[in-house]
Amino acid sequence: MTPAPRRPFLQRLGDRAEPWLYSAPALIVITAVMLVPLVVGISYAFRDVQILNPFSGGFVGLDHFRALAGDKAFRVALVNTFWWTVLTVLIQLLFGLILALLLDTPFRGRGIAQALVFLPWAVPTFLTGLNWAWLFNPTIGPLPHWLHALGLLAEPSNILSDPNLALWGPITAAVWWGIPFFAITLLAALQSIPSDLYEAAAIDGANPFQRFWSITLPFLAPVIAITVLLRTVWVANFTDLIIVMTGGGPADRTQTVASYIFTQAFKRLDFGYASAISLVLLFLLLAYALLILLLRQRLIDRDK
Amino acid sequence: MATIDIRSVSKAYGGHAPVLTDIDLSIRDGEFIVLVGPSGCGKSTLLRMIAGLEAISAGTIAIGGRVVNDLAPKARDIAMVFQSYALYPHMTVAENMTYSLRLKKTPRATVAEKLEAASRKLGLDAFLARKPKALSGGQRQRVAMGRAIVRAPKAFLFDEPLSNLDARLREQMRAEIRKLHAGLGATSIYVTHDQVEAMTLADRIVAMHGGIIQQVGSPLDLYDRPANLFVAGFIGSPGMNFLPGRWDAGARAVRLSDDSALPVERAIDLPDGSAVTVGVRPEHVGLGGDGGLAAAVDLVEPTGHGIILHLRLQDQPFKALTTDRRYLTPQESVRVTMPADRLHLFDGNGDRIA
Ligand SMILES: Nc1ncnc2c1ncn2[C@@H]1O[C@H](COP(=O)(O)OP(=O)(O)OP(=O)(O)O)[C@@H](O)[C@H]1O
Ligand SMILES: [Mg+2]
Repeated sequence: MTPAPRRPFLQRLGDRAEPWLYSAPALIVITAVMLVPLVVGISYAFRDVQILNPFSGGFVGLDHFRALAGDKAFRVALVNTFWWTVLTVLIQLLFGLILALLLDTPFRGRGIAQALVFLPWAVPTFLTGLNWAWLFNPTIGPLPHWLHALGLLAEPSNILSDPNLALWGPITAAVWWGIPFFAITLLAALQSIPSDLYEAAAIDGANPFQRFWSITLPFLAPVIAITVLLRTVWVANFTDLIIVMTGGGPADRTQTVASYIFTQAFKRLDFGYASAISLVLLFLLLAYALLILLLRQRLIDRDK
Repeated sequence: MATIDIRSVSKAYGGHAPVLTDIDLSIRDGEFIVLVGPSGCGKSTLLRMIAGLEAISAGTIAIGGRVVNDLAPKARDIAMVFQSYALYPHMTVAENMTYSLRLKKTPRATVAEKLEAASRKLGLDAFLARKPKALSGGQRQRVAMGRAIVRAPKAFLFDEPLSNLDARLREQMRAEIRKLHAGLGATSIYVTHDQVEAMTLADRIVAMHGGIIQQVGSPLDLYDRPANLFVAGFIGSPGMNFLPGRWDAGARAVRLSDDSALPVERAIDLPDGSAVTVGVRPEHVGLGGDGGLAAAVDLVEPTGHGIILHLRLQDQPFKALTTDRRYLTPQESVRVTMPADRLHLFDGNGDRIA
């Protein structure tokens, strides 16, 4: 066999470029829609961008980050974000799991109950926030009076204006709003567990708690891990309820990093500083996501 | 080890027609009972009621003399092997097998000892650290068996444990189950719809149909003296041939539709002219004699070990089993004879006569 003659350069170039040319429109659109805003947003973090200052826009290097390091409000927001996210997600998970377990046992009218559980999810968050703000308001809402009657509050006051308790207001609303997500996801996972495993365990002598521990939980673990990851990132970024219910107050006691970004950007109109905070939040969440993904991989590997 | 007494047990799933009606069965200590019957006849339901996984609608079930109707599965001290094996996917083989012992807070040394004994018996030593996912079907089956035997329960319940295995492996496991039972001597109830399994494993077979027990007896009992048309047709492969006819009391013979007579030797007390069904097993049909009846050959099916002839006799499908290779070459017709002592007679209700 004689070696095939080398084809002309242009033809080879054409062959190489062909797949790229076909996918070019999609690639260009994706780049334009996703990457360009991201890059522009990140660039703000290193520029002085103030909406009301026509002379702003210049490059300031790491100035924003230096300011951030000394910003006490930011540190408070960081701590608040931690508690806001951890408490909201864990309580959502706990109640979502309980609800899913209840919905997984057969009873009359289960179909309707499963549909009703979705309801909070369908309420706009803005409305949820207003609704709960009213419920916590002692002049029109019943909650302070009930809490007082239960002995949980010394007097029927508005917890949203109590610096020590205010964060619980948005947390309660967020839990109420977010339970369906966990309940539905976990219910789907529960229903995929073969029932003969429970029967085998019952014959082996396991009581309901032991069955939950050695069958249900191992089956749910990967699902819980991935939903908690998603919800954590989502809740950490979730500002609607805080903005509507407390606006970050009183005295920044309910200010989370995300709501602080919102305040800086849309109240102080300092987009550069807000972008710098966003970048910090982005890195924190990325680090967290990486951690959970590693954990999940280990969980899955363990099953092999 | 224990006896199991089932007294007029019925089962109906809320609002539906009964699935089991008036089941009566006494199982002796150490006996190997096989429940057979077509799909949907209620075998699994009966087994699950004994296990405590299904409520008993009426009647009583007693294990070892103690009525267990209201006892939870764990209090009945029985072990069950599921068709799907139901191995705990997150536990290793060793953990799967010892789960029940660990729940009972058995001392570690005892657990290890029992695990060792069971895994040696089942040839599972090499797999103890693996997860079920990393096992073949046959190995999983063994683990399911191992999980049952480490507990040394009063009784073993098997629900079609071999139906997910290929034919050869099933044959091998069948022999092993037989050996295990001989060694352990535990009361066992085994559900299957494979009649070869039933015949080879059972001390007694319980044939069920439509939620009713049709016959209880030793495998050869059911083969030699089926109580009715259902059992006659269900036990044996290929299935028994049936021909409609009338009893001719004067000739002491059955008259088939073409008026030919099949003499019957036994003493039979039937009014002249009553409708009967004659049954004869394919392996008892004689071929190529001078007398007998003419039958057209539809199909010749060699099985290696024998030949199944699909025939047409007086317009009825009829099968004959032979080992004579002459019949491999297609022929238009053959003559079949039915030995008088091999004939089964059933009355108009399908019940056995004499
Ligand atoms: N949960 C239930 N609700 C209503 N009917 C049921 C239920 N479970 C089983 N049945 C019915 O009970 C009958 C017996 O079922 P069962 O599972 O005992 O049959 P089987 O003899 O084990 O059949 P197979 O050989 O196919 O396993 C079937 O007709 C089935 O439809
Ligand atoms: Mg069944």
